[in-house]
Amino acid sequence: MTQVMTPTKTIDERGKICPYPDVDTMTTLKRMKKGEILEVLIDYPLSVERIPRNAQKGGHKVLQVQQLDGPNHSILIEVLGLK
Amino acid sequence: MNPIVSGLLVGVLFGFVLQRGRFCMNSAFRDIILGQDFTLFKALAAAILVSMIGFSIMAMTGIVTLAPKPLMWGANLVGGLVFGMGMVLAGGCASGITYRAGEGMMGALMAVLGFGLSAMMAATGVLNPILKSLQNTKIMTADDKPLTLANMVGVDLKAAMLVLAILIVVVWVVLAMRSRSSVPSFGQKPKSFGEAVFKRGWGWLPTGIVVGLIGMLSFPLSAAAGRNYPLGITGGWVNIFQSLIKWQAVVEEKVKITALNWEGAEVLGIILGALVAALIAGEFAIRAPEPKLLLQTFLGGLLMGFGAVTSSGCNIGHILSGVPQLSLGSILGGISIILGGWFMAYFMFIRPMQDVGASVPGEAASHAAD
Repeated sequence: MTQVMTPTKTIDERGKICPYPDVDTMTTLKRMKKGEILEVLIDYPLSVERIPRNAQKGGHKVLQVQQLDGPNHSILIEVLGLK
Repeated sequence: MNPIVSGLLVGVLFGFVLQRGRFCMNSAFRDIILGQDFTLFKALAAAILVSMIGFSIMAMTGIVTLAPKPLMWGANLVGGLVFGMGMVLAGGCASGITYRAGEGMMGALMAVLGFGLSAMMAATGVLNPILKSLQNTKIMTADDKPLTLANMVGVDLKAAMLVLAILIVVVWVVLAMRSRSSVPSFGQKPKSFGEAVFKRGWGWLPTGIVVGLIGMLSFPLSAAAGRNYPLGITGGWVNIFQSLIKWQAVVEEKVKITALNWEGAEVLGIILGALVAALIAGEFAIRAPEPKLLLQTFLGGLLMGFGAVTSSGCNIGHILSGVPQLSLGSILGGISIILGGWFMAYFMFIRPMQDVGASVPGEAASHAAD
């Protein structure tokens, strides 16, 4: 299945301290509509692993976790919100 | 072995594992109430259990002499609460901010500077009177020994540690086998052992076990250097700052503050180990949050330094090294750290998140209807 993964919204959480990236991601997901795609730019290793885990637990779909340059990652999450 | 070499060695190993395992107690405790995530807490529990069994066996075979910290209830309680609140502001526990400074995070570096400053203020500075009055709540056993869970009920400490740890392991394994849940993984599986160790984040179990083993290794090495205690952070930072700032006094007046000691070398080693781990994994970058957050981490560090020195231990000295020795002071200090952290996390993160949920009424319901 190929998907067009154009993010509806992008939040830049690079440089932020723990756990702002996680909290910002979760609150942003709550504000978005079903089917929309959120891109999270993140450079904090713990959150790179924890955000996908929590997004999936929240009923959303993690489409991609991709390393950009250095510690920077892009996480794509499709909003489903099925708890 | 030279105390500096031995401290550095343990520190480098510890820093490497902290970075690879993303091991941070601030996250471990906070994630429990913020997202019901127990991953890091399980790593911590595994580390404590490995240390508990290891310390006990090493004490039985005469390799180490156990050294539980004494109970100073006022200091353990107040210091722990202040430390716990501070670590949420700082975005990391004492070991967390130390290893993240090695990852190039300037927010963590600010927290470390605040930590060192107020730790000195409490140890030998303007905050010392508060520390003294709070530490004036020391309670010892009748024969002047530190209170532990073991001597409270009149059993041998070494045996109690071993039995308790094994009991907890058995219960844990049974519970874990009953509720097997699949852990979602993203991205490709590592291609080799080297890639798994040096390039990827470690799972909670290997992280916990290796942290526990490093705790074991640290005990006899630190004791050989004249400091009979396992891993610590607070004393190390105090030592680093004091040896730099009071150097002239040491030279001229022969003040009994020595230059770098084992714990100071261990702390420097942690930064170095985390730096190396982050460089190998491509996770090192010098980066900073917005100025407001830099101020916040500095203030958090100030609270942590005072709290840790007053309580006579941070999350490492109390929770990782003291709880396995069943010290009542460390258990109270540890619980206070957790409660202080939860208190702060509630107001900073949980309430704001709930407000977001409340401000979009019916949205969750309409999603479910789709």
